[in-house]
Amino acid sequence: MRSAFAGVKPMVGVLALVTAMLSPGGPSRAQQAATVDISVKGHHFQPAEIRAPANRPVIIRVKNLDAAAMEFESVSLRVEKVVAPGTQGVVNVRPLAPGRYEFFDDFHQETRGTLVVQ
Amino acid sequence: MRHGLTSLAATAVILTTAVRAQAQDNNAFYEIETKYIFGFTIGSSIGIEGEKAFEPDTFANFGKRDGSYTATETELEFEFTPNQFMQIELGPTVSYYNIHNVTDIDDRSMGSLNGFEADIRYLVLDRGLSPFAVTLSAEPEYHSLDETTGQKVVNYGLETRIEADAELIKNRLWLGLNLLYEPETTRADLGQWDNESTLGLSTALAFQIIPKVTVGAEMWYLRHYDGLSFNTFTGDAVYLGPTFYYQIAPKMLVSAAWDFQVAGHEPGVLPALDLTDFSRQRARLLLEFEF
Repeated sequence: MRSAFAGVKPMVGVLALVTAMLSPGGPSRAQQAATVDISVKGHHFQPAEIRAPANRPVIIRVKNLDAAAMEFESVSLRVEKVVAPGTQGVVNVRPLAPGRYEFFDDFHQETRGTLVVQ
Repeated sequence: MRHGLTSLAATAVILTTAVRAQAQDNNAFYEIETKYIFGFTIGSSIGIEGEKAFEPDTFANFGKRDGSYTATETELEFEFTPNQFMQIELGPTVSYYNIHNVTDIDDRSMGSLNGFEADIRYLVLDRGLSPFAVTLSAEPEYHSLDETTGQKVVNYGLETRIEADAELIKNRLWLGLNLLYEPETTRADLGQWDNESTLGLSTALAFQIIPKVTVGAEMWYLRHYDGLSFNTFTGDAVYLGPTFYYQIAPKMLVSAAWDFQVAGHEPGVLPALDLTDFSRQRARLLLEFEF
């Protein structure tokens, strides 16, 4: 006899795939994230180079110590976050392959930094 | 052929300049998204998580075997990136036709809303240690006017692409590759559904000549068939042309391309080029306004 749930399994699979594709952190969100702190002062990242482990999600906590708003942005990390003056913003990054990833302040584009993933 | 030689010369200049550029100070050149730097060829970039943009994207076709022929289609796209792996575009299309004395096509001078398109893009290979990145794209389309003739039809299509690129010189030189397959089904006045398909392969180079500006060249090889699965070959075309990209402001960019059909043929037709399935020239102009 055909089970009443015969058509359900493929549908659950498709639903899980769509959910994974649309979830904010992508398919590998379950791994433990590494946290990295950085601040902006006088339109300079401090430190200008930050480090994170490879193949793990990364949480970048960006503290804006300037009197003007900044937007933490990166083309290769594919993230952006506006951080108001005197506040901290949190940026969630997917697990990354080893390499150097540039980031910048989109409101002051000369403000640049690098995330080194090892 | 003259246009082909011009494009080849442009490519040679780009490569020569690019090799010289390796010795230059690269500190003024930063990362750029590759999606729109290759003209009709689409790069792998899918934007930034949470980013939203409005993009009027116009494709124009000029010239048939005889007469005067212009047909344009503008996609008014809302583009957004829900996460770091996927990008979605949605929007209506508007078409304009100015056709006079072209064999087998009625004269027409009109503009009209012409359907709806969506594009779902998913990054399958990220650039990490390797310079390569690959995105898969599926673009379902509905048109109420024939894209070539402007005749009233019901047309459904699904443009699928593999969009790959490689960063050959960090932040300066990129190579783009696309593989295209687009099946379509169309019902015209007679009520019968006709199927067709287009297969395409492209390669493109883009060089960041000054910060936020790239110039380049691309080549497309397109084959057109009656039927969804390459049933009857009706013609092929090789397009060659220059490309241009300029990030005008942090939230605004322009991308342009102009391609010339430099080779091609239709079975049973003596003159060179396929000017039934394809146009003599084609152009693309895209503006992006991020918000």
